[in-house]
Amino acid sequence: MPLAADRTPFGDLLWTLVRTDFKSRYHASAAGFVWAMLKPLAMFVVLLAVFSFIFAADPDYRLNLIVGLFLWDFFNESTRAGLTALHAKGFLLSKARFPSWVVVVASAANALLTLLVFAVLVVAFLAAAGRAPSPLAIAGFAFYVLNLLAIVIGFSLAASVLFLRYRDLNQIWDLALQAGFFLAPVVYPLGMIPERFHLWLYLWPPTPIIQFSRQVLVAGSAPSARGHLLLAAASVASLAIGVMVFRRHAPRAAEYL
Amino acid sequence: MEAVLAGRGLHKAFAIPSVRRTTVREHLFGLFARPSWERLEVLSGVTFELRAGETLAILGRNGSGKSTLLRILAGIYTADAGEVERQAPITPILELGVGWNPELDAVDNVYLIGAVMGLARREVRAALDEILAFAELERFANLKLQHYSSGMAARLAYSVAFHAVREVLILDEIFAVGDVRFRARCEERYRQLSRQGCSVLLVTHDMRVVRTFCDRALLLEGGRIAAFGGAAAVADAYIEVVGAPPAPPPGRE
Repeated sequence: MPLAADRTPFGDLLWTLVRTDFKSRYHASAAGFVWAMLKPLAMFVVLLAVFSFIFAADPDYRLNLIVGLFLWDFFNESTRAGLTALHAKGFLLSKARFPSWVVVVASAANALLTLLVFAVLVVAFLAAAGRAPSPLAIAGFAFYVLNLLAIVIGFSLAASVLFLRYRDLNQIWDLALQAGFFLAPVVYPLGMIPERFHLWLYLWPPTPIIQFSRQVLVAGSAPSARGHLLLAAASVASLAIGVMVFRRHAPRAAEYL
Repeated sequence: MEAVLAGRGLHKAFAIPSVRRTTVREHLFGLFARPSWERLEVLSGVTFELRAGETLAILGRNGSGKSTLLRILAGIYTADAGEVERQAPITPILELGVGWNPELDAVDNVYLIGAVMGLARREVRAALDEILAFAELERFANLKLQHYSSGMAARLAYSVAFHAVREVLILDEIFAVGDVRFRARCEERYRQLSRQGCSVLLVTHDMRVVRTFCDRALLLEGGRIAAFGGAAAVADAYIEVVGAPPAPPPGRE
């Protein structure tokens, strides 16, 4: 079934979506992008001011906080953008048929860009503190970010088609994110929580990502092989479920706009 | 002659809930109330072919299923039953005037719409000046779409689609947009495409367009084909259907 849109090179479609998203979000200026980065930075300063008194005994608290916070920020921003991705691009979906999953994948790009800039900043920060992470540690961290990306895209694929039918999903997800911020060990060290609850906390995807990243970047140790396997399995499962739900509902998405 | 696009026994119905639930909250609180649906049959068994190189008009009153048919042919909606056979790439222009990102300027919107209409970035870049010139919007290339009038936005949409078209063009309400000058340019471009062998499927309410540009026409009435044949004959049938005064309700003097 040839359709004109099938002819657009896939990379061109993705790049156009990412580029226009970036432009309309930051008003086409570098200053706009810097401005957007100030939000998580301001959050870091506030949280640091409050919690560094409570956790004064922990010399690594500040580093752990920034690693946790920018990973959380990515999860927060990208899942919210992903959930509304199809709805936000409804004006394109009602115009022509094209591979709409590209819209969902592109929605994570802005948050990913912020994440990458922060990652560079954090590594520079660590290096300045005389604790530059080894190449292996950086590779491990990249692996965790990749897993987080897979989980986020899996979630976004499913949530974006369901949002068209259930228009208050974004409010429910906002609520879940508010609770989830405290469920994940962003502002507190996981060690505070009794060991028997850890398994439950690890079921919330940001927890293993944040904990593993802290281990390789800050503590300089490696998580267990079993931990890595479980994380990879969770990412693959999330992506698979997302693709399944999306394939089931996407063909009729335009009817629910 | 060879068919480039065909619909075979197309059916489409929309389930319209009497009380529409669009949120999780409503679904939760409505668990015990049985949902009641009204089935709105929009298309019931539409079969036709668009032949290579011809222009076919789809006529019908508002609500007769024209737009739904176009969307199914363009692959935007899925038919409940029946099949669409596409033998050539299709460029649809639907819902004009709406469908832009108001926060982006004309150039970025052209890239965006071009991408979903099948143009590579390289092709958009090469055609950009021509697209803006065709829409007479060169002066406003860097103006955000939110400041455009609806006529300007529609002109831009036509311009992109006329450049994106390859073999089959699907048009909703063509020649009804813009001022006289722009309409004349659209007609000129249409003739050019027609000479090149493009096939066109268009929806219109303008019988002058049907008689001037179309080879054949199809009249939809209540989701069924009421007439299908030569453009002039079907245009007459359409005027009869639309012009007929509504039947008086039964039981009244």
